[in-house]
Amino acid sequence: MAGYGGYGGGDGGGFMSGSQQGGSQAGGSKYADESLRPVTIKQLLDWEETFPGAELAIDGHPVTQVTIVGQVRSVKPQPTNITYRIDDGTGAIDVKKWVDSEAQGGEDGGSGAGAIAPDAFVRVWGRLKSLGGKKHVSANFIRQIEDFNEVNYHLLEATYVHLFFTKGAPGSGGAKQEGGGGDNMFVDQGYGAGGGDVAMGGAGPGGGNSAMQARLATCSRNAQIMCNFINNSPGGTEGVNLHVIAQGTRMSVRDITNAADELLGQGIIYTTQDDETWAILDY
Amino acid sequence: MDSKSSTPRITCAYLSQYVGKLVTVVGKVVQLRGEEATIDADGTIHAFLNREAHLSANNGVQLIGKVNPDLSIKVLSSVDLGQGVDYNLANAVVEVTHRYKPLFVYEN
Repeated sequence: MAGYGGYGGGDGGGFMSGSQQGGSQAGGSKYADESLRPVTIKQLLDWEETFPGAELAIDGHPVTQVTIVGQVRSVKPQPTNITYRIDDGTGAIDVKKWVDSEAQGGEDGGSGAGAIAPDAFVRVWGRLKSLGGKKHVSANFIRQIEDFNEVNYHLLEATYVHLFFTKGAPGSGGAKQEGGGGDNMFVDQGYGAGGGDVAMGGAGPGGGNSAMQARLATCSRNAQIMCNFINNSPGGTEGVNLHVIAQGTRMSVRDITNAADELLGQGIIYTTQDDETWAILDY
Repeated sequence: MDSKSSTPRITCAYLSQYVGKLVTVVGKVVQLRGEEATIDADGTIHAFLNREAHLSANNGVQLIGKVNPDLSIKVLSSVDLGQGVDYNLANAVVEVTHRYKPLFVYEN
């Protein structure tokens, strides 16, 4: 009985948990929070449901819909759905495509779903569902992949989006996408039509502070020297005092004060114990 | 049961790190001799095919199999990928999946 109640919450998930979360998500309409994220199956399996009906979040960002690419390992037709076992090399998960009785024999329902055979590569769009600790993807759409390169493309795209959320946008021109703007970047983009060029280069090595580096690049030379000095000092969150910076960089107190104003304005550093001690704003 | 096991994507260079393990290899079929195939995946790999394998020389192939101690692969599953496989892309993906392992590979 109690178990059933719990499932009910998970099942109605889309709506019920949505209304719960509404308050904490700054009241914005649920529609605006919709996202479609390319992921690996391992990312889905690694997610731990903190409470029944909890919303999927990867890298600390809520995810409503996901797209995965993998190989069909088995096909099990059921009365109400077809269950596919999809394996993308990182893990395997069940994907359920509900049978649309009205579209039976129709163009998309019939030929699309019915024709998918074991070993075929497919792309799936859907939502992750969790019932009693067992996860599956409830698919809106499944299509067979014609060009194998899409499989590799998807893996790079999933990596790119992961890096975007964990390390910020790639250095060039990404600085303005900070904060709220960044969240929306991948919403409503036409994935099918998307081009093949993923900017892996920018996100790869040294991507850790890329957003900061981009902003720092617009600062004066003094500000850059000062920022690098603080960055390389062991001060941590306690910050580095003006006089230590003056000694270390051989800049005048006046130059440092000006550079500090600049960096404070950019939100790169913040004052700690007093007005003459700064630390890097690292998030 | 969620199956929390991976078949890591590798190229020739990674073979020695995966002896006894299941791996995924994308490469080009260089030569076919009965149930033995030579695959180019950023280096030459010898693969022992199963009965179901239907490969064609010069086509791309995805192999899933176990790495033998002599660094050949005992193939469990193979898919012919036809022409038009971007091998540079496939090799780049191998590098990426090794650099960001938490996204792709369950350790052990």
